Amino acid sequence: MAMYETFEHTADLGLRVRADDLNDLFAGAGRGLTSVLVLHPEAVTAGEIETFSLPGTDRADLLHDWLAEVLYAFETRQRVFSRFEVRLDSAGLEATAWGEALDFRRHGVNHEVKAITYHGLKVERLGAGWLAEVIVDL
Amino acid sequence: MGEKPGFSGPLDRVDDTTWRIPRSYKEGMRVDGLIYASDALIDAIRRDQAAEQVANVAFLPGIQGASLAMPDIHWGYGFCIGGVCATDPEENGVISPGGVGYDINCGVRLVRTDLKLDEVKPRLQSLVDELFSSVPAGVGRKGKYRFSRQELRALMAEGAAFLERRGQAVAEDVEHTEARGRLESAEPDRVSDRALERGAPQCGTLGSGNHFVEVQEVERIYDEDSARALGLSAGQVTVMIHSGSRGLGHQVCDDALRVLRKAPQKYGIPLPDRQLTCAPAKSPEGKHYLGAMAAAANYAWCNRQLLMWQTREVFAKFFDRTWESLGMHLVYDVAHNIAKLEEHEVEGRSKKVWVHRKGATRAFPAGHPDLPARYRGVGQPVIIPGDMGRASYVLVGGEASMEKTFGTCCHGAGRAMSRTAAVNHARGRRIDVELKQKGILARAGSRKGLAEEQPAAYKNVDHVVDVVQAAGLATRVARLRPLGVIKG
Repeated sequence: MAMYETFEHTADLGLRVRADDLNDLFAGAGRGLTSVLVLHPEAVTAGEIETFSLPGTDRADLLHDWLAEVLYAFETRQRVFSRFEVRLDSAGLEATAWGEALDFRRHGVNHEVKAITYHGLKVERLGAGWLAEVIVDL
Repeated sequence: MGEKPGFSGPLDRVDDTTWRIPRSYKEGMRVDGLIYASDALIDAIRRDQAAEQVANVAFLPGIQGASLAMPDIHWGYGFCIGGVCATDPEENGVISPGGVGYDINCGVRLVRTDLKLDEVKPRLQSLVDELFSSVPAGVGRKGKYRFSRQELRALMAEGAAFLERRGQAVAEDVEHTEARGRLESAEPDRVSDRALERGAPQCGTLGSGNHFVEVQEVERIYDEDSARALGLSAGQVTVMIHSGSRGLGHQVCDDALRVLRKAPQKYGIPLPDRQLTCAPAKSPEGKHYLGAMAAAANYAWCNRQLLMWQTREVFAKFFDRTWESLGMHLVYDVAHNIAKLEEHEVEGRSKKVWVHRKGATRAFPAGHPDLPARYRGVGQPVIIPGDMGRASYVLVGGEASMEKTFGTCCHGAGRAMSRTAAVNHARGRRIDVELKQKGILARAGSRKGLAEEQPAAYKNVDHVVDVVQAAGLATRVARLRPLGVIKG
C-alpha cells in the first residue's frame, strides 16, 4: 500500500508518495490529492465507479495528467474518491476510482487546488520501490 | 525538493534597495538577476529557493535587461512570486505561461465610498455577515450569474465592456480598470471546452486561498494631491477585492503547458526547470497561448467587476441607498499575474516587449499615455494588499519604474510562512478571536483557512512598500486599515 505525505512549499503544497510498484504509486497519489482537497478522506464512501484512460509514455507527465483528471472531476462534477486502481502500460494509464459526490458537511473542504504543477515533478525509483513528488498550486 | 533549502548563491549589493545575482552564477543565464529588497528582507529571501528561481528565469531566450524580482518575492513554481521578465519577440523572445501563473490576471481592485468609519463601525458585524452570505466564496460555491458558451466567448472577447452592455458595469468602471478591462489580443476560440466548463459557473465568485473582500478605513494619507485625484481622504471607508480568473484561467494555463511540453526541445531552449517551459512568442505554440491567456485575462476582469457589482448591491441594500449615492466608485483595478506587450526603452532603444508579471503590479508613472485622464497627472494607482491584520496600501506609479523595472512594482506583502507552518503556528489559537480583539471582523469558510492566511504568515507590508518607495518604483498615497474581511 502506497504511503503519502505532504511537504512544505512557501505558497503552495507538496505531495510525496512512496510505493512498491508504479501502479500503487499512482493510486497513492490519487489518495494523497484527495486528502489535500477534503479534510476527511476517510469519510468518503466507495459507492460509485468512474474509469479513466490517459495516453502517454513519460511517467512524470502521466502523473501530472492523472492528478489533473482527479482535480477536474472534483471541480466540475464534485466527485471525490476513496479508492483507486491504476494500471500503467506502454501506451498510458487506465484507472478505476470509487467514490461519491462531495458532501461539504461530511467530507469537509480542505484546500482549493488551482492546478497540478511541473515544478519539482518527479517519478523515480527509490531502492526497490518508487517515489513521486508533485507541487500543487493553491 | 521539500526540505526547503536556502539560497547559497551570490547576492551582491548594488545599492540600498537592489541586489544582484551575477550572470556568471549559472551557465545558461543570459542576463543578471536583480532583486529589490532591504537588508532585513534579503535575509528572509535567502531562506528559500526564490532567488534560485530569479536566476533560472534569466535563461529565457530574448530576455531584456535583467530577471527582476520585487521585495515581496517568495518561492513559487518556475518563476518566483514577485518576478518580472521582459522578452523581445524580435530577438526570438519567448512567452512562458509559468511567468503568468495558473491564476491568469489574478488582481486587486479598490472601491471607495463616501461612508465614514462611524457610520460603518456600529453595524460592521452585520455588514460582514451580509457580504459573507451574498458574495459567493469558497470551494465549490457557484455564482449567481449564468453565461451560455456563446455569452462566455463574447465576455472573453470584450472584457469589462461586455458587462457594461449588460448593465453590470458603468463607463467609469471600464475606464478605471487596467487596459480598460480588455486585452484586444484575446482569442476565445483557443479556450478549451474544459476551461469553459470550469469557468461557466464561476464568473462572479471569489474562490479560496488568499482571495478576499475587505472593508477598510483610510488610516493615513501620505500625498494629499494624489489622494485627491484618487478620491481618497482620511477616515473614509473603502472596499478591496482580490480574485482572478478562477477555474477557467487555471485550465487555460494547464492546457498551454501540455501544448508546450515539447516546445523547448523543438526550439532548442535549455531550461533548468520544467515549469519554465516556453516557446517563442511568434511561434504557433506561443500565439496559441497568448490568445487564450488574453481571453482568460478578460474573464478575470469580468469576475472582479461582478464581485464589485455584488458588493455594491450588498451595501445598497444594507444602507438603503443606491451605490451611486454611497459614492462607491472604482478607484482602480490592477492585474498582478499577466503578460502584456508594452513599449519600453531598453539600452536607449524603444522596443515592444512581452512583460511577464508573476505576482507583480504595473506601476506606470504620471504622463503615461495608457493611463485614464483622471490619473494622468499623478500616475497609475497601484493597489497593494497587505494582510488581514495590519494594512494595505495605495500608491501611484513612480518615474524610476520605467527605467528600472519595465513599469512594475510589488503586488502585496508576500508570504513569509508556508501554509503548513502557518497552521502549526496557529495551533491552540483562534485567529478570528485575535483579529476581533484588534477590531477586525473576519469570516472565512474554515478556521484552517484563516490560520493559513493569518497576519504572521505574511511579510510586513510596510517594509515591502518602503523598498518600492525608496527605489522610486512607486510613491505612497494612502495606508488602509482592515475593518472586516470575508474569505473563501
